[in-house]
Amino acid sequence: MKRHFVSVVSGLAVLIAMFVTFGLGATPAKATTTYQVATDSTFPPFEFANSHNKYVGIDIDLLHAIAKDQGFKVNIKPTSFNSAIQSVQSGQMDGVIAGMSITKEREATFDFSKPYFMSGVVMAAKPNGKITKLSQLRGKRVAVKTGTSGAQYAQSIHKEYGFKIVTFDESNDMYQDVLTGNSAACFEDSPVMRYAVRQGTKLKIYTKPTLNGPYGFAVKKGHNQKLLRMFNNGLADLKSNGEYARITRHYLGAKGSSDTTSDRTFLGLLKQNKGALLSGFEQTVWLTVVAIFFATLFGVIVGLLGVVPNKFFNGLSTTLIYIFRGLPLLVLALFIYTGIPSLTGSKIPAFVAGTITLMFNEGAYIAAFVKGGINAVDDGQMEAARSLGLPFGKAMRRVILPQGIRIMIPSFINQFIITLKDTSILSIIGIIELTQTGKIIIARNLEGFKVWTIIAIIYLIVITLLTWLSNWVERRIRL
Amino acid sequence: MNTKIKVRVSNLVKNFGDNKVLKGINMEVHDNEVVVVIGPSGSGKSTFLRNLNRLEAPTSGSIVIDDMDIADPKTDINKVRENIGMVFQHFNLFSNLSVSENVMLAPVELKKRTKTEAAKQAHDLLNMVGLDSKFNATVQSLSGGQQQRVAIARALAMNPNVMLFDEPTSALDPEMVGDVLAVMKQLAKQGMTMIVVTHEMGFAKEVADRVVFVDDGNIQEQGTPDEMFNHPQNPHLQDFLDKVLNV
Repeated sequence: MKRHFVSVVSGLAVLIAMFVTFGLGATPAKATTTYQVATDSTFPPFEFANSHNKYVGIDIDLLHAIAKDQGFKVNIKPTSFNSAIQSVQSGQMDGVIAGMSITKEREATFDFSKPYFMSGVVMAAKPNGKITKLSQLRGKRVAVKTGTSGAQYAQSIHKEYGFKIVTFDESNDMYQDVLTGNSAACFEDSPVMRYAVRQGTKLKIYTKPTLNGPYGFAVKKGHNQKLLRMFNNGLADLKSNGEYARITRHYLGAKGSSDTTSDRTFLGLLKQNKGALLSGFEQTVWLTVVAIFFATLFGVIVGLLGVVPNKFFNGLSTTLIYIFRGLPLLVLALFIYTGIPSLTGSKIPAFVAGTITLMFNEGAYIAAFVKGGINAVDDGQMEAARSLGLPFGKAMRRVILPQGIRIMIPSFINQFIITLKDTSILSIIGIIELTQTGKIIIARNLEGFKVWTIIAIIYLIVITLLTWLSNWVERRIRL
Repeated sequence: MNTKIKVRVSNLVKNFGDNKVLKGINMEVHDNEVVVVIGPSGSGKSTFLRNLNRLEAPTSGSIVIDDMDIADPKTDINKVRENIGMVFQHFNLFSNLSVSENVMLAPVELKKRTKTEAAKQAHDLLNMVGLDSKFNATVQSLSGGQQQRVAIARALAMNPNVMLFDEPTSALDPEMVGDVLAVMKQLAKQGMTMIVVTHEMGFAKEVADRVVFVDDGNIQEQGTPDEMFNHPQNPHLQDFLDKVLNV
């Protein structure tokens, strides 16, 4: 009968494995003419969500126009710049258009289109005139955005000018660092900086564009050559028919698109971004629910494997807990989303990768306290049950588990709340949940403090509701 | 004395790592016999009892109960255990279940009885130990002595033909001991085969057919209560009795 119990447990383990495999296999079937193109979520004026939560910008509009001109379909997916680059390298996406400079280093792993935009790096600082040229940066901090030309520029001159580099993932965080005085200046691509200043960022551009570099559309080296050719052909068409000029003027011209007139009060921000916040909130809740379900399943199975009288399963359980509890959630998420596809060649949708990440990470914690909860039940209970002739599985189910679960309930509630909060970390792989939504809104309107306050309050409300629900369930179970 | 041999232990050895706890015990228990095992703490008497239903797996040797070898890993130990009731020092009642559920769990789970039959039997058994009034009570509401009597009823619910008692009164307040011993005496009178590890010398004198003295992992001496208590031969037994009887 012991065997019976073990077989139930391993059966469930197989189910989990099937879910994972299914998840890996469940990449969207690609129609021959629809290309998946990654972009940065916050790089105005090249790509950003407008107040209707729709992605616009020079890159976006250009790509759509080229696709129309060349007769292919394109699905543009905003994520972080790093993640966009990695997702193309790993084959998750077909191409990337993200205000990406054509550099020698990048040409080692990417094939670039003909340049579609010429940009340069500028230095911006507070408009009080204290820092106006590079030579004044000695001994100070300079903010840059990871992976940008600005960062590269800073790297190339920081010894000469004697400043320290601090890096950020989002432009807005970089601007804020300068505004608060932590950093003396920032290096940014000139069109981006110009756009930000026009949006109301209280920074001033002090230098002329330098390190002038072309932006290009990129595909993985040796892949998607047809897409690259169509991009080049389309770009040439747009340049000759005036469409290219119309698009760039729209975003960079004197009367370009701007968001400065809108209501910047809390209520105004809430109203303008209602749709985006709601969809981010839904994504967060959905991710939490799915993650809790699979994490609980995984955790309970691994926890039980840790207490069955079988050395192999005990060792397996300990190892799984050790690995997944030992890995930072962020590293695990990036490893699953970008690492695994570059090994196996099959894509993983971000949501599935996120769910798997949480399943393993939160599941490992659950496994640890499931194991602990069962071990906390007095050994005499199991001995008494076995002495009556009850098989291990029945004794477990009728005597040990009911007592162990009572011990585990507070830990479960705690873990569910942690899971909800941890979903925010998955913004790194481009899941547009609540935190990522916040970043996107801020990229457009640069109202960091107010938007983060709104986001924080939404999290608190959900956590309060979850706590109430958990307490209610706990009371029901204790009856 | 009945002649049928119920339990035969041959050359039983049990080691915990380097620690040799049982060093080759031989023993036979006949049908309806009440054997009381005495000895100083650490002598191995509890370990011996726990080997009899394989709560501890023997290192070597054989234990045959009703013609089934417990020490043989191929034996379906769950089937054998159904016929061997065990009562623990710390009662070990299932704290997630009520008194009656404790008694009914095994017969119902192992499909020996329907729920109705099991409930009727639980009433009978709880009556026998004087606790039918506690039928629906929670385990936590009972005193130690009451819990131990329920534990005896629970062990009897599978209709075992051997009962093992592992220091059943050691964890009880003195005023509770009598009730538990009374139930055990009643069982002995009904002809139950019993192996009892205890420090209750009065019980041994009054109820035991045979008293076995275990020390240092071996049986040092055995005999009737009269032989053992009034004419002990082994100096270790004499020493032990001196200590426990002349408090």
